[in-house]
Amino acid sequence: MGVEYVSVQWNRQKKFYDAVLVGGVAAFLVIFSVLTKVLFPRVTDEIMLIRAFGTGAFLLLHIILCIGPLCRLNPQFLPLLYNRRHAGVTCFLLGLIHAALVVITYHAGSDTNPILSIFVSSPINGSVSSVPFQPFGFFALIILFLMAATSHDFWLANLSAPVWKSLHMLVYVAYALLVLHVTFGVIQGEGSPLYVGTVALGLVTVLGLHITAARREVALDSESRLTPHASRPTESQSLVTSSPTEDEFVDACAVADISENRARIVCLSGERVAIFKYEGKISAVSNVCQHQNGPLGEGKIVSGCITCPWHGYQYQPDTGASPPPFVEKIPTFNVRVKNGRVFVHPKPNPAGTRAKPATIDGSSRREEAHSVTGNSESLVTLAATKK
Amino acid sequence: MIAAAFLIALGIYLACGLVFALPFVLVGAKRIDPHAAQGPWGFRLLIIPGVMALWPLLLRRWATGVKEPPEECNAHRRAARKGVAP
Repeated sequence: MGVEYVSVQWNRQKKFYDAVLVGGVAAFLVIFSVLTKVLFPRVTDEIMLIRAFGTGAFLLLHIILCIGPLCRLNPQFLPLLYNRRHAGVTCFLLGLIHAALVVITYHAGSDTNPILSIFVSSPINGSVSSVPFQPFGFFALIILFLMAATSHDFWLANLSAPVWKSLHMLVYVAYALLVLHVTFGVIQGEGSPLYVGTVALGLVTVLGLHITAARREVALDSESRLTPHASRPTESQSLVTSSPTEDEFVDACAVADISENRARIVCLSGERVAIFKYEGKISAVSNVCQHQNGPLGEGKIVSGCITCPWHGYQYQPDTGASPPPFVEKIPTFNVRVKNGRVFVHPKPNPAGTRAKPATIDGSSRREEAHSVTGNSESLVTLAATKK
Repeated sequence: MIAAAFLIALGIYLACGLVFALPFVLVGAKRIDPHAAQGPWGFRLLIIPGVMALWPLLLRRWATGVKEPPEECNAHRRAARKGVAP
């Protein structure tokens, strides 16, 4: 966002991602069409194409919805997240082709406007077979259009990431509408319990993954939540930390808890804070990437910069500013290190403000070394016990 | 009747958006976002559907002389602006 906008920010990874995406969609359409012809020989070509594109869009939407929680549960899925917007646009295009084929096949050629015909062609008489399922698909397609139309970084910048994300949360409304659209469509069309069961399986998968990921996030937040008052050290700790706590610094974690070039995430001042250890120093920044609000603390320091695990946006750990020519900035926090503990001041500095990194002192290094040695000794003891 | 009224309203809204989109992608985009000044034609074409959908917001920004995209708002940024710990 710090440089001029381009049509599509292609790079090698995105080209590979899109090649797999297009190849996968094409393979699905071919396999689905062949299977339809073999299993249902009486189905016409138009209906086969309508079902192929509709099913492709619905399946792709399931994959898109599962990527988010899967990444929260296992970082190995992060490459799928990298170019998810292109998958979303593809999903909309598949849905649009499906809708166009439906309008041409079922609604064109009469006196009624073809789009209006979607709403008035099924008279409601109270039975399941008369539920007008096509309007559900129409409104879902409008939401998918809104999301695809605002997928460029221009919209991320001009709506701001939180508003953009809220807008794109409408995908869940679209998904609910599509579940109704497909369920009633299947009941009124084929009527096979196999299809209804498949839709239910997809719904359970999406819901199950989201609930599992949400529970994990809530548990992590409650474990790492710090408050200036509640997190003051205990009596034994205060002997070695009295100076920082007098200035309202909060005891966040031990230096040894943080891996080199990685972060420890704590909840402070209403949001997550990422505390990074690098080159013998400690810096703390807001955990929220300015690009798409990705979790910076789950990334690592690459070439001296905090690198977001979602799309690779970078920030200098001491200033919270992206290296030139980029202009993104995030709030920083003042930090101190004393006797092997990291203390963070709860008041964030304005985005892009330099906060002097805390140098890891000798005692902290000794404690860190002791912690590592202790772990090794524990492992040796454990191995001996097992023998 | 309701469906017909809805579709007419939607059509009018999008038609207004299309009329607004032409001057916006040529002139307005660079006024409200300096990073759009040298944007290629592909970029301008890609944002037209979004402009058609969100044209009242963009018209307000352009008309009120906004020169930069808005800064995002979250708990840390709010606290930093206020200058106090929340």
